Amino acid sequence: MRSLGTFQSRKQATERTAAGTMLVLLAIWPLVFSSNSYWVGYILTQTFAVGIAAASLIFLSAYGGMVSLAQVALYGICGLVLGNLVTSGQAKGLHLGWSPWLAVAAAVGITTAIALLFGAIASRSAGIYFLMITLTFGVIANTFFGSVTTFGGFSGIAGIDTYTPGLVGNHVTQPARLYYIAFTVAIIVYLLIRYIVRTPFGIALQGVRDEPVRMRSLGYNVPLHRTLAFGLAGFMASLAGVLYAWSIGVVAPGTLDLASTVDLLVIAVIGGLARIEGAWLGAFVFFAIQTYVRNVSVPVLGGSFNTIIGFIFLAIVIISPNGLMGLWDMITRYAFGDRGGGSSEPFRELRRIVSDAWFRLKGGAPTRTQSRSETL
Amino acid sequence: MEGSRLNRLRTWKLLLPLAVGVVAISAVSATSLAARSARSATPIKIAIMTDCKGAFGGATEVDIGGAQAAFAQFAGGKPVNPKKPSAGMTGITISGRPVKIVGYGCGNDTVPLAISETKRLMEQLGADIMVGPLSGDEAVTVAHYAQSHPKKTFVIGTAGSQDPTLQIAPKNLFRYHGDGAQWNAGIGEIAYKKLHWRKAAIIMDDYSFGWTSAAGMIADFCGVGGKIVKRVFPPLNTTDYSSYVQQLPPPSKVDGYFWVVGGTGTGASLKAYEQAFGKVSPKKFIGNLFFAFLGNFQEVAPRLIGAYVGGFGTGPGLNTKQAKGYEAIVAKWYPGLNGGNYADGFVYNYYNAAWALIRGLKAVHGDISGGQAKLQAHMPRTNRSGYQVSNNGLVKLDSNRQAIQDQYPLQITKGPGGKPGLAITGWVPNVDQSFGGFFTKNSPPPGRSQPPCVKHKFPWTGKIHAVKNGVITKQIIK
Amino acid sequence: MAAVPSPAATAEPTLRLRGVGRRFGGLYAVRDMSLSIAPGERRAILGPNGAGKTTLFNVISGDLLATSGSVELFGSDVTFMPARRRARLGLARTYQQSRLFLGLSVEDNIYLSIVGVKGGRLRPVGLPKRDGEIRERARNAARRAAIDHKLKEKVGSLSHGEHRQVGLALALAAEPRALMLDEPASGLSRGERNLLTDLLLGLDREITLLLIEHDMDVALRVAERVTMMHEGRVIVEGTPAEIRADQTVHDLYLGSGHRE
Repeated sequence: MRSLGTFQSRKQATERTAAGTMLVLLAIWPLVFSSNSYWVGYILTQTFAVGIAAASLIFLSAYGGMVSLAQVALYGICGLVLGNLVTSGQAKGLHLGWSPWLAVAAAVGITTAIALLFGAIASRSAGIYFLMITLTFGVIANTFFGSVTTFGGFSGIAGIDTYTPGLVGNHVTQPARLYYIAFTVAIIVYLLIRYIVRTPFGIALQGVRDEPVRMRSLGYNVPLHRTLAFGLAGFMASLAGVLYAWSIGVVAPGTLDLASTVDLLVIAVIGGLARIEGAWLGAFVFFAIQTYVRNVSVPVLGGSFNTIIGFIFLAIVIISPNGLMGLWDMITRYAFGDRGGGSSEPFRELRRIVSDAWFRLKGGAPTRTQSRSETL
Repeated sequence: MEGSRLNRLRTWKLLLPLAVGVVAISAVSATSLAARSARSATPIKIAIMTDCKGAFGGATEVDIGGAQAAFAQFAGGKPVNPKKPSAGMTGITISGRPVKIVGYGCGNDTVPLAISETKRLMEQLGADIMVGPLSGDEAVTVAHYAQSHPKKTFVIGTAGSQDPTLQIAPKNLFRYHGDGAQWNAGIGEIAYKKLHWRKAAIIMDDYSFGWTSAAGMIADFCGVGGKIVKRVFPPLNTTDYSSYVQQLPPPSKVDGYFWVVGGTGTGASLKAYEQAFGKVSPKKFIGNLFFAFLGNFQEVAPRLIGAYVGGFGTGPGLNTKQAKGYEAIVAKWYPGLNGGNYADGFVYNYYNAAWALIRGLKAVHGDISGGQAKLQAHMPRTNRSGYQVSNNGLVKLDSNRQAIQDQYPLQITKGPGGKPGLAITGWVPNVDQSFGGFFTKNSPPPGRSQPPCVKHKFPWTGKIHAVKNGVITKQIIK
Repeated sequence: MAAVPSPAATAEPTLRLRGVGRRFGGLYAVRDMSLSIAPGERRAILGPNGAGKTTLFNVISGDLLATSGSVELFGSDVTFMPARRRARLGLARTYQQSRLFLGLSVEDNIYLSIVGVKGGRLRPVGLPKRDGEIRERARNAARRAAIDHKLKEKVGSLSHGEHRQVGLALALAAEPRALMLDEPASGLSRGERNLLTDLLLGLDREITLLLIEHDMDVALRVAERVTMMHEGRVIVEGTPAEIRADQTVHDLYLGSGHRE
């Protein structure tokens, strides 16, 4: 027990140092490198924005036990509502020409309300049924915006990036502004999640995750709790939607189609469904691969982004079901020699990982890893 | 004491590689950025944006081949592999300046991928100029992007939506071919005069290209006095069209149907029609270009021999020196491209886009400095495109930098060996995007109920020449 | 243990069932069950497996709704009241399977139990003073269940016996007026059983206790009255002494079921 404690504190110290380094690096990035680069304007800004949506997914899954496939739909809805409200003139959709901040507030509010409605409908289901219901929400939203031309139709709404508030400015000429805004919102969302899971609401949400029946007999309204958590996640996803609309400029039904829904799930799984940090890690890996690993040819299957990301996804799911963050946990256990439950002997940990992966492939139960990851 | 020292050692064991990694990545990206900015003084970087997924995914090589044939012919490019245009092209120079094709964009006819691919090409790969994109909504997206990036130049590859040049019309965006409405000019008059249609129904894909393509047919048909009695709009990429076909009036109630359903939907929608109303009669069907291009030729055309089809701005089998010259150039550099069918808009429009760009770059001696203002001012306002006949064979750009182009309504014929062939029916000279003022910046853009069905005289109304065996005759279609 | 006469037999019963039935399709798990439990009474429900004891508990707690009859709790009709509202009236229960929050610490588990009845269930902000008070109460409950040495450990890493202790701490922390325990001794060692029995005997006399237990030593020592169920019905009701003497009970249950 004692060594488990020191292991945890050592790991925590390392993580704090790593996170601090990362944050400083990201904070000075646009200053050090040309702020007009693709990294600032696209990869990192998108990582922050889409990472927020992934974080909302991981929040629901890690703390609420709900794997939602509606998060893409929600951020897409927010982007489309924003587009309808804020654009003017010849733009598609309603082009109401509202003032930018008012439109953002309304879009976030409407999206959160829709999320609460979705949540209320889905709150009595669990597991695969919850997954299917939220997938249905996504498909409905996609079809709705694809066929209702009043709100923009199949082509969506373009030029949203020219109706940003003064604070955001012109994303093309001043990409660093949106970069820092997205960075800040991402940090706020992260801290919000970390905070909320230590409040009565958050602890109760974890209770609902573990034992909804017991929660009911302790006096909790389980569906209400799920609904509110879903609404909160919808609120976070809507922030991602606003950032997405500002940085990409155009939101269309294609933004919330099935492929994008799967993409976000892939991001969350690559990052790791057990830890919030994984959301941004997964998003970063996703966008980096999308940009740089394109023409690598895999024998027999050929080469494309989808093939590559598919293989990475598969490898991660087999080796580390908790994604890259889970892999990190394994590495720290090896590096610091977690004597609380294992050994610091070289390669032993690796061998265990491989054999666990083998068992998982064969469909057996890799009992050791699972029981251990629970205890940690 | 010792324990904490050990701790620190262990911490470093992990942090050191991490720190080294971060530093290494930063160093590499910093040097590559620096190197990039140092090099950028020399080559002109061009990106070709097309689709490699979705309904038009099959057009990748065809598009790239069309564009690169022009670079080979007029700018000294050498295909790396004549069988596979996407293998690349080397040795392109314009006025002594090297030109590099930095990347091929891979869209899927949807907006989100179009924008992320455009950003990748223009911002990550640092392209100065884009040739592309391929489809309607992508062109709208690129037009918006062009508007906010005035220091880069965009030449649309082959996209039929109206908005990019009529509504958005940024100064740095050029289109050397017609839009979807222009391509269908004349087909309504042919339905009215040759098939004696008076009442017709239309089914159209529910998105910008479907609406624009349908707009051309509706305007043309109603312009000479026809009536559209029903408009049906299935969503793009529908697989089961039964419920939409059911909304159409039965063949006994209308003289015919205009069919504007693309991609895999063309065959599927006709099948749904057959299940609902029986055999497809070629005299009761007029399609847009999707009856004859994009892989539908084998599946759809055999059932529709004799049916008229809207054009693609190209003249398959047009017997002029200029047309033969264009086909010979493509055949020289990429023999067998698109199965030897060079009179396909996917080849022809990309070819003309690249050719016009080369002419523009030559006019400024490869000078793209100063935010490309000089290049944009010197992009050619006319171009001797292969199938153009009027204006002494010159396609002209209007004030929105949009082509005014001859159009060729087509007919599916019985070719050698019973296989379907394609023949030009008529020649519609000088079709402009506004249809002689019918479509304007302030008129509602094409949509489910736009344009309305009204009688209107277009510049070409009553002036369509009959074409026989690829030769334009003096005879006017009556 | 001498039988203590039920206090205040004339007072409003804590729990009253009238003709309660619960049907699953064609199967009656509980049928036409009437029961009255006085405030402060200790009642054991006995019966062989499948007798309907746990279903009865579920109907009382609200996890299941009765398909016929009525349930009165603390003098009001709760037949159609959801489980969470019954809990807030002062009814606490444990489950046969531990049904604890395995991903949370022992303290958080108990914390949830207190918040569940005290309110603030949806509070999305931390209030240090209020939360400190609740956590102090949680630690007290843990102490009573003798699990306070593992407050910060995740419940998922505890042993089966410890799970039982945490379950009990959860029930006690809610300060219920009525407490229902579903086989609290199952899987415990002899030593742990003795601890459990002492704890139950030392329970505040105000609390009404309803107990399902297979272990006769625990059940008959703690209970003042015993209800014997079989195939969803009440067979015999009486004091522990009467039950020990009853031939039907012996035939049905003690003969085969009583292992120790």
